[in-house]
Amino acid sequence: MKYESQGIAKLYFIAAIALFVGQILFGVTMGLQYVMGDFLFPEIPFNVARMVHTNLLIVWLLFGFMGSAYYLVPEEAERELYSPILAKVMFWIFLVAGALTILGYLLVPYARLAELTMNDLLPTMGREFLEQPTITKIGIVIVALAFVFNIGMTILQGRKTVINVVLLTGLVGLAVFFLFSFYNPHNLVLDKYFWWFVVHLWVEGVWELIMASLLAYVLIKVTGVDREVIEKWLYIIIAMALISGLVGTGHHFFWIGTADYWQWFGSIFSALEPIPFFMMTLFAFNVVNKRRRDHPNKAAVLWALGTAVMAFLGAGVWGFLHTLAPVNFYTHGTQITAAHGHMAFYGAYVMVVLTMISYSMPLMRGQKAANVNAQKHEIRSFWIMTLSMVAITLLLTGAGIMQVYLQRYSADPLPFMVVQDRLAHFYWAREVAGLAFLSGLFLYIYSFFAKGPEVADVE
Amino acid sequence: MGSNENQLKKASQASLVSLLNLTFFPVISFILLLIIYNKTTTENIDRYYAVIGIKTNLIAAVALILVTALMILLGGFDSPWTWVYVISYFVFVHALFILFATWTMVRSWTGKKLTKSFLSK
Repeated sequence: MKYESQGIAKLYFIAAIALFVGQILFGVTMGLQYVMGDFLFPEIPFNVARMVHTNLLIVWLLFGFMGSAYYLVPEEAERELYSPILAKVMFWIFLVAGALTILGYLLVPYARLAELTMNDLLPTMGREFLEQPTITKIGIVIVALAFVFNIGMTILQGRKTVINVVLLTGLVGLAVFFLFSFYNPHNLVLDKYFWWFVVHLWVEGVWELIMASLLAYVLIKVTGVDREVIEKWLYIIIAMALISGLVGTGHHFFWIGTADYWQWFGSIFSALEPIPFFMMTLFAFNVVNKRRRDHPNKAAVLWALGTAVMAFLGAGVWGFLHTLAPVNFYTHGTQITAAHGHMAFYGAYVMVVLTMISYSMPLMRGQKAANVNAQKHEIRSFWIMTLSMVAITLLLTGAGIMQVYLQRYSADPLPFMVVQDRLAHFYWAREVAGLAFLSGLFLYIYSFFAKGPEVADVE
Repeated sequence: MGSNENQLKKASQASLVSLLNLTFFPVISFILLLIIYNKTTTENIDRYYAVIGIKTNLIAAVALILVTALMILLGGFDSPWTWVYVISYFVFVHALFILFATWTMVRSWTGKKLTKSFLSK
């Protein structure tokens, strides 16, 4: 670790991992509720568990992105962070606000929570993934602005590289697009437009910039390949991500009451969306092949390669599977969407944050890389979590295909709940895979505490 | 152009058409792969990658034939299970073939052989 202020990332990473555990616990709970509807009812109803599962995902990924930026930017900018104190204060504000919001979801009925937080003054609640009370949303904006200011000032006063400028662009986009969540028009079609301007332009737009820059940074560090080579790849990847992803928002406009031309725009541009993910795979493979050194942190290299591969599969292949309008007509809102969502979020964003943690955590703890045993455990946890996620995705895909066929395609369509009953064996198997994922996550956490011989100092 | 550079170029071309056969241009690309194979010499890096390409594509083809056979055995297009297997096969197993072909293509650019692969034997 070259700069003392990089150490702030540790706080963010620890919070991110703790919230990740919470997210998976609620996921496993919800998985069981699919097959045992009364499980933990009325204490934790399905809709609340789902809200907590998705909100925790967003919050912990934001913690992960912020921690990654606080680690990466000082080193790229070749100077200390503009204001380490501001970063620490914002960490506690964000953590307390996040925890209070989750407790609010769990302890207070949602309608009452809306009343208590004065949602009627500026109504923003009630939309999927953006359920946070208005006051929390205002808190998120304050934290995001302070964060972007801190990172931005560090970069402006320091060295500007392609990596930190792309990262800053992604982070500014993240903050700006969140502002659409404050506009809540009465017209439902308009409402859906603005809702997607947050959700889609985050995950299939600016978050891809953040992901690509983080991956590029780790690959430079672990392979020693020339910065120029990696920067050229980065330019092409982000160009393709924005060209395909921005108009690709149209794949959410197929059935919300918009004009027919969105079926063409949405289909064509989102069919291009696998390209940046494929290029990311090509980029990671190519850079690792050209590596000039064998970095002692094998786990970080594995996470980096895994990110590229799993993002291509989850976001690219599984996204393409149901993105064309004639296919989406049947698959919209089925378990196929859930399959895509799980693997895409894991492959693209969870794994890139874990890549950054894997690379930076040992350095923040004064090591070149984690000790031999710790890396063994971490690599095992990589495979357990990744293979469990593949299993979850395949099982949800199977369930989704059956659902489409029985509920929407066959000559004698069955009602929703009857079909859900028929999918129970898929859901049971998914629950087992979810528990396996949780065990992989516990092993991952254990790896930070494992003792063992230090790795040879190669550099 | 030296012989090594020429071999590298052919190795890269062989890997590329192998990838194209698995994605956008099946059959035509395989014919091109066979033509490239014919122009290579034993023990050279271009022959090595042409052979890997041919083996990868033949295994993918056999797997596709098996999936088709399963389709017929499982009740044809009218059974939802057929679609569960076929779609899962394409999005996962065939995608892995594509990823493997991508890896070999990138590896061929470096002029090195694969380190661990039964296909390279």
